[in-house]
Amino acid sequence: MDLARQAQEGDESAFAEIVRRYSPRVFSVASRFFRQRSLVEEAAQEVFLKAFTQLGSFEGRGSIEGWLTRIAHNTCLNMIRGAKRRPESTVSDLTDDEEQWLEHHSGADGKQQPSVENSVVATDLADRLLSVLSPEDQQALLMIDGEDASIKEVAEATGWSESKVKVRAFRARKKVREAMEKLLNRR
Amino acid sequence: MKDKHIIDVLDNTSIASLSESELSEIYAHAQECALCREAYEAARLSAMVLQSRARTTIEPSPFFQTRVMAAWREQQAAENVPALLRLWRSSRALVSSMAVTTAALAALTFMLPAQAPLTDQTVSALSADSVIMGQSSDDQVTYDQVLSTIYQDDDDAR
Repeated sequence: MDLARQAQEGDESAFAEIVRRYSPRVFSVASRFFRQRSLVEEAAQEVFLKAFTQLGSFEGRGSIEGWLTRIAHNTCLNMIRGAKRRPESTVSDLTDDEEQWLEHHSGADGKQQPSVENSVVATDLADRLLSVLSPEDQQALLMIDGEDASIKEVAEATGWSESKVKVRAFRARKKVREAMEKLLNRR
Repeated sequence: MKDKHIIDVLDNTSIASLSESELSEIYAHAQECALCREAYEAARLSAMVLQSRARTTIEPSPFFQTRVMAAWREQQAAENVPALLRLWRSSRALVSSMAVTTAALAALTFMLPAQAPLTDQTVSALSADSVIMGQSSDDQVTYDQVLSTIYQDDDDAR
């Protein structure tokens, strides 16, 4: 709270400290939305500048980190909405590596984790599956199924109600599962 | 759960949050039901790729803080400009165009030669008859001339 108040009063070092301390968290949120470094940095910068102008609205009821997380989430969502929506991918768009990844992991033990070498391929596949969802549903699913966040944590980070988070996660999970089934059946 | 389809369970909960016993029941059912086996396999692979995606985070570069602070200073400087100056900056195009228009109108008003105002006589001379007959305004007579001609005729008649 002290840092926030000092920054609001124009203390440059206090604001610099906020940026230094919370950059990793803001980058983590922005990375859920974007994979390009330039876009993540652009979003993160906008988050901090917006946070500075809204410091008056931060009343110290929650943590600065939580407050910044929500600003980051809304800022990134607005950036996504403003950008042109990319066309949905089809099965024919699968690369050889992605085909191999699916081949290799199908029917394997449920506890098996993707290797580091294959993580890029897995991430590409995830983006392909996520492209069938709205940006909001993508976030709900990534936080719950990807980061093991609870419904309550997602609600706090996004500002949505818990029931809304549940609905979004259910809808997203179903769509993604169906998209994956299509990929598996067309191989 | 063995005889019950498990697709709803898969859509309702993330696989990671299922207990060992729930997983084994799901697995047992999936062994006997092709539809659910397919759904379970898709859900399992989806969870794997989503976890991989969630682990992909970009770390702040060493220059990020410097960049943000520079943008912040720029924003602060813009906010510290006096209000009148900001008003002028935002409206100077409009004010300039208005000034140019006013100057042009003033020049047209004072510098062009003034035209003689139309008198009653000349107005009457532009009668419908003259227009129809195609007479030029130089040939027109004034009211006074018409009246004096009429009265002169009356006097001659007497």
